[in-house]
Amino acid sequence: MKRLGIFLVMIAIAGFCVFAQSTSTKDMKALIAAAQQEGQLTVIALPHDWVNYGEMIQKFSDKYGIKVNELNPDGSSAEELEAIKANKDNKGPQAPDVVDVGLKFGPEAVADGLLAPYMVQTWKTIPDAVKDKSGYWYGDYYGALAFEVNTDIIKNVPKNWSDLLKADYKGKFALAGDPRISNQAFLTVVAASLANGGTLTNVKPGLDYFAKMNKAGNLVPLIAVTGTLASGETPITVEWDYNALANRDKLAGNPNIQVIVPATGVVAGIYVQGISAYAPHPNAARLWMEYLYSDEGQLIWLKGYGHPIRYGDLAKRKVIPADLAAKLPPASAYAKVVFPNLQEQTTEGKDIADMWDQVVGANIQKQ
Amino acid sequence: MKNASRRAFSWLWLVIGLVYFFLPLLASFLFSLRGKKGVLSFVAYQHVFADPQFLKTFTFSLEMAIFTVIVGLALIVPTAIWVHLRVPKAKPIIEVFALLPFVIPPVILAFGLIRSYSRPPFAIVSSPALLVAGYVIIAFPYIYRSVDAGLRSMDLRALTEAAQSLGSGWGSTLFKVILPNLRTALLSAAFLTLAIVIGELTLAVLLAWPAFGPYMALVGRNLAYEPAALAILSFALTWGSIGIIQAISRGTPGGRSSLGGTH
Amino acid sequence: MSSLPSKEGRERVRPGREAAAGVAHPLSAHRVKHGPRGIGAWIGLVPFFLFVTAFMLVPASSILVGSFQDPSGAFTFVNFLHLFRPNILDSYLITIKVSATTALLGGVLGFLIAYAITLGGLPKPLRSFMSTFSGVASNFAGVPLAFAFIATLGRVGLVTVLLKTLFGIDLYDTGFNLYSFWGLSLTYTYFQIPLMVLIIVPALDGMKKEWREASENLGASALQYWLRVGIPVLLPSLLAAFILLFGNAFGAYATAYSLTGGLINLVPILIGAQIRGNVLHDPSLGYALAFGMVIIMTVSIVAYSWLQKISSRWVKQ
Repeated sequence: MKRLGIFLVMIAIAGFCVFAQSTSTKDMKALIAAAQQEGQLTVIALPHDWVNYGEMIQKFSDKYGIKVNELNPDGSSAEELEAIKANKDNKGPQAPDVVDVGLKFGPEAVADGLLAPYMVQTWKTIPDAVKDKSGYWYGDYYGALAFEVNTDIIKNVPKNWSDLLKADYKGKFALAGDPRISNQAFLTVVAASLANGGTLTNVKPGLDYFAKMNKAGNLVPLIAVTGTLASGETPITVEWDYNALANRDKLAGNPNIQVIVPATGVVAGIYVQGISAYAPHPNAARLWMEYLYSDEGQLIWLKGYGHPIRYGDLAKRKVIPADLAAKLPPASAYAKVVFPNLQEQTTEGKDIADMWDQVVGANIQKQ
Repeated sequence: MKNASRRAFSWLWLVIGLVYFFLPLLASFLFSLRGKKGVLSFVAYQHVFADPQFLKTFTFSLEMAIFTVIVGLALIVPTAIWVHLRVPKAKPIIEVFALLPFVIPPVILAFGLIRSYSRPPFAIVSSPALLVAGYVIIAFPYIYRSVDAGLRSMDLRALTEAAQSLGSGWGSTLFKVILPNLRTALLSAAFLTLAIVIGELTLAVLLAWPAFGPYMALVGRNLAYEPAALAILSFALTWGSIGIIQAISRGTPGGRSSLGGTH
Repeated sequence: MSSLPSKEGRERVRPGREAAAGVAHPLSAHRVKHGPRGIGAWIGLVPFFLFVTAFMLVPASSILVGSFQDPSGAFTFVNFLHLFRPNILDSYLITIKVSATTALLGGVLGFLIAYAITLGGLPKPLRSFMSTFSGVASNFAGVPLAFAFIATLGRVGLVTVLLKTLFGIDLYDTGFNLYSFWGLSLTYTYFQIPLMVLIIVPALDGMKKEWREASENLGASALQYWLRVGIPVLLPSLLAAFILLFGNAFGAYATAYSLTGGLINLVPILIGAQIRGNVLHDPSLGYALAFGMVIIMTVSIVAYSWLQKISSRWVKQ
């Protein structure tokens, strides 16, 4: 009797699972149909060479036959949110449907009522620490800050933050942004701080480090871009590993680039996805999210050297092709990676912004 | 004797100016030739030309620029003349307006335009007219200053009254007497506007138009040699467009006298 | 009309002021088709004011409104209090300094080049070459310009390398640094000079040859001519050009950002940091900073109008 009961329960559960699966398949079909009805998706601030978004957009568009309208590839996270705000009444192509913003902009967007919640099918495999409980925003990929070195000019490659202070690198290093403006640049200061005894809430060691670098003459006050990296004006910089690796591939040896994750002070940054509350094409937006978080989408990001947020789940289920896994830097490099959380990022940002020009910026008036 | 020393002086400054202007262009050009390692090669230029977006966005921006020149001149020239002739008291107010666009950050202007014009009855946010209107505002300081300089250097009042005392109406006074004397100033205004609109970035990006500025920024994102090639090409193309306008205007009345009109 | 060679003669013929004051003038009997006077004359400016209001004032009103709000939308003066922080005051100062310096540099050099191509006795084709070139160069700014200067005068720039290999001079050892106030000013001047050329050429065209000839016949040297005739006549246009160049540099930031990476704290960069930046994000402060710039610009225009009035009185003497 008991065994029959258990058997019946198991059948019921199996039946329920099949039912749930077919419900979600049916939902997917309905979603795809509704999205195709809308016919268009407007994305914003997605450069094609940033974690392989180019391929992501192309494959999505081909698979579902939905035209993707790309806005403002150079836009910052702040601009993405501002675009949602300004286009509240506008259903035209200037209004973004989905956004991909830095971690701290997720809660800010929710507070301003700019996002609509949606839980993708693979919701459960997204780590809890990087998603909003109600589904307003969730992490999509992350990367760690790495040194990007032009090895045609720099023969002795730096391996750690302390190396960059050496005399060999006089006039050779530049940040890839202004730490008061760029996420990448200010987290670089945080990383240097961690490597020099700082914590996630005390960034003074990082500021002192750059003051020292400036005094030694190693820091060039330029914003390093691919052009200055190649020309030799700023042959060493720090960027997200996925960007540095993509640059290396694109430059194809002209010049040769090496990407090194520093031995200490490894900081990772997470970006999060969200659907605009004023999206002109809400169903296309949801379909896009489903695609991003499907195995196919996550692997496209991996191809772009980003660590997709479901990496752990994908690895467990052994769906990562070996050649793709080989293209990333070795996992040991990421052993010490640190993820600043929201509050930490906000405090760090404020401190750096307040003290950066005193600590580093020479008083230009004197010149 | 005097003429020779004046000419020597002029040549000196012209040559200094030309060296200053061409060195950076030369440096950019030489860098753009490094697309292939170890040799001088035009491969970066090939990449740029192979991209259909290059010509498409340039043509779009050129069209917008021409519209902006037409609308801008049509709005500002009569206004400037009117102020000079009739309402000199309005001059300071116009001057303030003519300098405000410099201190309105383009991103604020763009988002402001979107906010104000996304709702009926003024839902023109997706119309190119809004883009042109924004461009006119951005180019306004330069257009006004050029036209104002031109009006100052001619005796507007005397010319107008002479024309009218000879029986000319406003229309023919404007087109046959005033404008030919303003030819240099109008050309300066047109050149400045053209260059501004072709290179403009923020307004085009936020209003979602396929313009040349955003295209250049896109190429400049993560390539090394193509942005330099693109900068040289856009310089050359813009210069060519301006040269064409200059050549066309030579055929118009007053065009042959390049040293001021009726004196 | 103005065929008399002397400056005074020109003034006497000009009917302007008297006519405006309603005093009878020999020609007034023939003036038939003039429009309305007084308040009515302002109607002619209505299309202009409408356009400017619709497409500049209304969109930019967020500057005014936003400056008085805090992030949650409540009314506050705190943003303006923040403007008086030392680093922000410094930033206004350095922005004004860069703008004034490059306006002056661009103004003087642009004037010399404009003179060279108009009154300087050079072959005619050079003038249209420089005019069209100035048209393009006046807007060559931002990332391409910064990169061009880096490629020329940066540590591995063309000129730097040439100086080292050909003459053994290390440019950066002599204390020169492209990434400094003067390096930035040198770069800004690239678009300031052409702007000056384009604006001042029509004014130089209006300088009559007869004045120079008459002054030479009276025994004046070139210096005396310029001091007594040339500069006074050109002064209004020179002032107008200066304020245009000032405004042009005042609002620019892309070049500075690319060239000095935020080392030089210009106000437009600070505004960008608040409104578009990913680290701080206080748009209200950004609006207040922009409002501060509007105020500075307006004060400059007031000063400029006052200077114009004084200079025109000087010309009348």
